[in-house]
Amino acid sequence: MKKILAITLALVMAFSLVACGGSTSSSTPASTAEPASTPASASEAGSETSEGGEILIGCLQDITGATSALGMSVQAGAQAAVDEINANGGINGKTLVMNTYDTRGDVTEAVNAYITAVTVDEVSLIIGPPVANIANAIKETSEEYDVPVLGFALDPTCQLKDDGTPYKNMFCFQPSATDQGKIMAAFAVQNGLETFGILYNQENSYSLSLLDPFTDELAAEGITVDESLIVPYGSSDTDYRTLLQPIVSAGVDAIYCPNYTQELVAIVTAATELGYEGKIVCGLDAAPSFNTTYGGDCSNVYYINNINTDDPTTAEMAASVEDSVSAVNKYFLGYDVVMIAKQCIEEAGLDDPAALLSAIENVADYEGLTGKITIDPATHMPKDMAMFMYTYDNQTPVMLGEFAG
Amino acid sequence: MSLQILLNGLATGSIYALIATGFALIFNVLKFSNFSHGATMTAAAFAAYFLVSANGAGLAATLAVAGIAGAAIALFGEFVGFRRITLNHSSSTYFFVSSITLGTLYEGLVTVKVGSNFYNFPRFFTNPTINLGDFVISTSDIMMFTISMVALIILAYVIQKTRLGRALRAVSFDRDTAQLMGIDSTRIIQLTFVISGVLAGIAGVFLGIKYTLYPTLGSLVVKGFIASVIGGLGSLTGAVIGAVLLGVVETILLSVLGSGYSTIATFAIMLVFLLLRPQGIAGSNVQEKA
Repeated sequence: MKKILAITLALVMAFSLVACGGSTSSSTPASTAEPASTPASASEAGSETSEGGEILIGCLQDITGATSALGMSVQAGAQAAVDEINANGGINGKTLVMNTYDTRGDVTEAVNAYITAVTVDEVSLIIGPPVANIANAIKETSEEYDVPVLGFALDPTCQLKDDGTPYKNMFCFQPSATDQGKIMAAFAVQNGLETFGILYNQENSYSLSLLDPFTDELAAEGITVDESLIVPYGSSDTDYRTLLQPIVSAGVDAIYCPNYTQELVAIVTAATELGYEGKIVCGLDAAPSFNTTYGGDCSNVYYINNINTDDPTTAEMAASVEDSVSAVNKYFLGYDVVMIAKQCIEEAGLDDPAALLSAIENVADYEGLTGKITIDPATHMPKDMAMFMYTYDNQTPVMLGEFAG
Repeated sequence: MSLQILLNGLATGSIYALIATGFALIFNVLKFSNFSHGATMTAAAFAAYFLVSANGAGLAATLAVAGIAGAAIALFGEFVGFRRITLNHSSSTYFFVSSITLGTLYEGLVTVKVGSNFYNFPRFFTNPTINLGDFVISTSDIMMFTISMVALIILAYVIQKTRLGRALRAVSFDRDTAQLMGIDSTRIIQLTFVISGVLAGIAGVFLGIKYTLYPTLGSLVVKGFIASVIGGLGSLTGAVIGAVLLGVVETILLSVLGSGYSTIATFAIMLVFLLLRPQGIAGSNVQEKA
């Protein structure tokens, strides 16, 4: 009797969990509606979902896991755009519905979530992650389907094959690592910095992809970084003081740290503890909320950003979400890309996947909150897109200038 | 070798010591490795962050609340995850599965609560570093080392010199016989979890100060586990020695070999050590349950 009771209880719990949405996709409040019908193939999804008066898109993000703050920020921005589009009549009279899929910061989970999105839910397109490791994981699988991934992984290998041609579905809607690395190096040189140390995460595509463009640009300016001062580390390393020791001892003008926020906080803390007083040049993830997380004076930190907070519209929008969103720049990226998706769907429709891909490939001069976006069909990444360099006055962000890509 | 590297290693080792001791305590009494210890550290550290330090409280209040939270979480774990298994003298596999399940549950709950943001403890010290000649020592490291050592000395005193400690040792030696001698084994096991939880809370705060707060912070428990194996599973003294040794060796290898090779070398050295001395430094060779 006890056994039967235990089995019954387990079954009831299992069913309860399933009823509460225990699938790999976690839906946003607006996305609980099912697609109106079940198309025969993923490529037909767009036309079929349209019959029910809805257009279903996916949002593949790290909602849990180490980079969840980034994923949730993109998701929040994308959802804000979806809500705005629907408040203004939807796309061609149809309601836009966005399902969010949690990659959990894990490449295996990401591939599974991607396959669920395109084969089970049959989304028309996917808002991709800002995390290069995840984008790298799904790029090969994405070749088997006709569902574009509009993402932000700035590592060019996420978009480009070894032969230099682009993966047909993979797109990046922010300047590539090549552009960002060059901008940061050019900025450093312009500001009189001459000697550098580099601390980068060799297991992270994002960090790795920003290394060569930075050193190449420095080399073009006649500056060579001593090999012994280019220090790699891995995800299991936490002793940043020991890693930084040779760089700090060398008394360099600047330390280049293209790393994620959580690691940056620990690295800047370790550098300060070692008595380092030079500059620290960082990538996008030193943008707020790095400053509040670090909690100290970060006046020696310089970083690149997608948004210009001196622009009144951007500043107003940033102020309205900064309490609820960790990475405000990622929020803007999410918002912009959904608006671009709307434009492409309106232009090409959803009946012909090739037409939609072509529309995305040929996005030109789109005036977004993150700048003017023109996609290069040869690379599936933006071309000549400007970015902004910032520093902090204690903990307050200060925009230093706009730099062309 | 730079003295600075040695100081860094000692600082790392002192955190490992806190983790390893909490780990070793539970092993000592119940003879199983409590893999929910890491998630307990994380949950306790976050509890302290939200309850006191985010509201401007200092380090002492943060450590106190983290200790209490850690004790409460560990006590909950003992009741939900291990009590019936212990009383039923169930197979060792159940302890293993239960501790993994509890750890996953705690980590999941923390992730749901904090996943959308970055967290860091506020700066507890006006001067982040102290200069001693050519060497720079982090104020938080000094504090961490001091508090860790004080906590471990108090623990050693309680275990060696008090009635409670004698009872704990008796239960760890033979639970059933201790029960027959009039010792309330369940109560002693609860107490062990409370002490282990307090140590987890303190370790969690120090890890949070050093590495920032994130849901998988507790994964560093693996280092504590390795340290307690090196020290001799179940031995508190061995756990402390093993932890400091691990911290120092890791730091030296990281400095000499760099990332990647240092991890390989660290684990290779540990394997060779265990090959030569499988009972660990302290010498007590205990048959682990799980």
